[in-house]
Amino acid sequence: MVVGDIATGTDLLVIGAGPGGYVAAIRAAQKGIDTTLVEKDAYGGTCLNYGCIPSKALITGADLAHEAGNAEEMGIHADPVVDMSQLRDWKSGVVDQLTGGVEKLCKANGVNLVEGTARFKDENAVRIAHGGEGQGSETIEFEHCIIATGSRVIQIPGFDFGDEPVWSSRDALEADTVPERLVVVGGGYIGMELSTTFAKLGADVTVVEMLDDILPGYESDVARVVRKRAEDLGIDMHFGEGASGWRDEDDGIMVTTETEDGEENEYRADKVLVAVGRSPVTDTMDIESAGLEADDRGFLSVDDRRRTDVEHIYAVGDVVEDTPMLAHVASKEGIVAAEHIAGEPVAFDSQAVPAAVFTDPEIGTVGMTEADAEEAGFTPVVGQMPFRASGRALTTNHADGFVRVVADEESGFVLGAQIVGPEASELIAELAFAIEMGATLEDVASTIHTHPTLAEAVMEAAENALGQAIHTLNR
Amino acid sequence: MALKEFKLPDVGEGVAEGELVTWHVAPGDEVTEDQVLAEVETDKALVDVPSPFNGTVKELLAEEGEVVPVGNVIITIQEDGDDEEAAETADADAEETADSDDAQASDTGGESDEDSGSGGRVFAPPSVRRLARELGVDLESVDGSGPSGRVTEGDVRAAAEDDGSEDEPSGPRSVQSNGKSATAKRDEGTSASASAAASAESADREQTLAAPATRALAKEEGVDLNAVPATEMRDGEAFVSPEAVQEYAQAQREAQAADAEAVSAEADAGTATAEATGEPEAAESAETGPGAGERVPYKGVRKAIGDQMQRSKYTAPHVTHHDEVDVTELVELRERLKPVAEERGSRLTYMPFVMKAVIAALKDFPYLNSQLDEENEEIVLRDEYNIGVAAATDAGLLVPVVHDADRKGMLELADEMNEKVEKARNRKISPGEMRGGTFTITNIGGIGGEYATPIINYPEVAILALGAIKDKPRVIDGEVVPRKVLTLSLSFDHRIVDGAQGARFTNRVKELLEDPKLLVLE
Repeated sequence: MVVGDIATGTDLLVIGAGPGGYVAAIRAAQKGIDTTLVEKDAYGGTCLNYGCIPSKALITGADLAHEAGNAEEMGIHADPVVDMSQLRDWKSGVVDQLTGGVEKLCKANGVNLVEGTARFKDENAVRIAHGGEGQGSETIEFEHCIIATGSRVIQIPGFDFGDEPVWSSRDALEADTVPERLVVVGGGYIGMELSTTFAKLGADVTVVEMLDDILPGYESDVARVVRKRAEDLGIDMHFGEGASGWRDEDDGIMVTTETEDGEENEYRADKVLVAVGRSPVTDTMDIESAGLEADDRGFLSVDDRRRTDVEHIYAVGDVVEDTPMLAHVASKEGIVAAEHIAGEPVAFDSQAVPAAVFTDPEIGTVGMTEADAEEAGFTPVVGQMPFRASGRALTTNHADGFVRVVADEESGFVLGAQIVGPEASELIAELAFAIEMGATLEDVASTIHTHPTLAEAVMEAAENALGQAIHTLNR
Repeated sequence: MALKEFKLPDVGEGVAEGELVTWHVAPGDEVTEDQVLAEVETDKALVDVPSPFNGTVKELLAEEGEVVPVGNVIITIQEDGDDEEAAETADADAEETADSDDAQASDTGGESDEDSGSGGRVFAPPSVRRLARELGVDLESVDGSGPSGRVTEGDVRAAAEDDGSEDEPSGPRSVQSNGKSATAKRDEGTSASASAAASAESADREQTLAAPATRALAKEEGVDLNAVPATEMRDGEAFVSPEAVQEYAQAQREAQAADAEAVSAEADAGTATAEATGEPEAAESAETGPGAGERVPYKGVRKAIGDQMQRSKYTAPHVTHHDEVDVTELVELRERLKPVAEERGSRLTYMPFVMKAVIAALKDFPYLNSQLDEENEEIVLRDEYNIGVAAATDAGLLVPVVHDADRKGMLELADEMNEKVEKARNRKISPGEMRGGTFTITNIGGIGGEYATPIINYPEVAILALGAIKDKPRVIDGEVVPRKVLTLSLSFDHRIVDGAQGARFTNRVKELLEDPKLLVLE
């Protein structure tokens, strides 16, 4: 402690105001806990500022332009012009509205907001360095702490995000022009979302992926629908190649790749977007001073209440090991941690975590695949409904993809679902609910679904698994 | 820092409920293990209920004066420390493959680890999962009664109740197990009747499952489905059949008809007034019916006594034998011994003499010191002499027991009895000190009166009531002289003891009290 520095105290200190941290802080304050929330950058974290929200804003704009320009089949003829700078401003407006909302909500719930970077002094105190020279620092003592510092993009050798032609996903979302040629390193979900977005905005996109398909972790028939659409959009995909470097050329840059066999390839570009994943931010807080230790990848281990090895310090969101880096997981974990600190009998025991990918078409998944179910000892039964058999899908002019429901044959319990197709990100919620409630195929099939909607496909898939489908041939 | 629940323990053997008399803690209070949380009145005694944990009181779930069934959660305590839960931390899964794969795998936002769990998964909605945590129920150990074995709220609550009855973590300090088989039988009987009463009351439910046609029938019959006794349980909820609705409706109609008859009889009695004033008859009966006047809850000690008396009176056919005994010599003896006893710090009343006489008589007539084991159809002749002494207290009649009274001297009996009666009057006596009696003596004389029909302290076989010692004329050697006379009223269970034996027993007691010197030989 420096001279004249008087430590302030708080019952709960939350480090990081992303979807894990701000949610935890608000819930804790609602429970009557004196809560302080520290944020070094922007309220809402990566999700609101540099991830989910701006990317979805950009995707919406790109989709709209692309749809309008490609609707001749419906008799609509247009040649849309995208003002990228204006689109970015609109996106920023959306982000500002949301981040402002988070700040207001925190204040309205009585959360004390502190700007700065927190470092642990010991297991009951942090030192907050306020941003900017001469802004000083302060010590805050706490009874409980929730670490919600999130993650940062991974940089790979040969590609420095400080270099102007090298984009992180965050840079891509800030772009005020569309590059003519874009090389995307990584065919994961961020790579594919941005590839399709920039392709729709007019860029020539090349995707370079080390593995042999896009979207690793998703079943091949799900990935295939997205890959085919990407190909239709003119995206050039190369598999089994790892990006090794880039160099300036007279006309833009040249991105080099290597195969396992040592074969080299080169791709001309104006920008190269590196999207190979994210790593947890646990190296900026002196966690060792609090008695904590991250694993060799930087993750913190927690129990089902989200307590770390130091019992009064919790961790939520992307810093937690063995859970997917998803905003909704972080929020749920934040609520569990806050309520547990408030003495409530909570636990992070969700039966299935839904995930959505905003590619074209979208992907929504939850719970087990057929293979997962088999591995877990169930006898899976699967029902599927192609969107091309859905009246509503056909009227949206997007009928690629399907809804698949996986259930236990003996009991009928819904175990998982994979949806690829229009509005898959929304449709998956119904099946997440079904799994969480312990619903059976019959429950889903017997629930009247509105006609004509895409959601009918969920009902039909369940009926298909029961051998009772009307609009598809039963398997 | 787990939230622990504390259920009302069985503070006396077989007790089904207790009145929460006083809370000694409030939410926010720090409590330590064994600290008294509350005072609970059951089975004729006030019992301190100690905390089984260290922690902070979170919530009180019963109000003072509330009658709480054993096994109901009465308080939640935020426990200090929680090693058990910290141990729940899952082991880290095996490392993933290559580093670059790691990066991309996390990038995909792929399936969660939960998804690849075991086939032994439990299907239960989030609300049920939370309830299980609240009630400390391990979901994996619950058999689901829902579709395909889904665990329902009712299943979790039932599991919680089962757990509570089987291994309650802590009990009251003052209760001791008696261990006598006959007593155990009695306790089983008590709990059986208590649970029967509970199921009768449960007809007033909040939720009832029934088929739509049954609901329509109930509506037609004007019957509240929640009041109809359930025919079965489904999904942990009460299910009512159409037959049950009809049966209940019929019973209701009959009851109403009986009421109407009673009302019209009352109305007939008051016809003159009603007709004269022209007021409706119903108004008249409401004024004079059982609804008028103060209503005092029938609960706690009063109800315990009532239940016990009712059970005794309607189980054991009572016969009461009356007699008088000339205790002039006993009065003189006691007068002489009283100061001696006082010198030794004891207060000598007539009761120890009576106890000595009774024990001697019981030894001669062992059936008076027995119990009927109804289930096995055996009369158990007790080989111990535990004499209960009824004591009138502000709360009601309590019966402290002097155990092994046959092995105790006169002053020892006096001291122990006085101490226990005092404790009963102060409501500090434990259930164990009132249990295990083989014969009871009650003294009505202190208040007045001569004869009574005492009700046997079931499952004992007999009870002796003492009247007041009064000067009464007696003919001795042809002359009428005043003598000290004590009345005796012996009630006995005619299933075990016949009139002749009762009279002979009384004669033996009389003999010893008339000539107390004989007690020296006993």
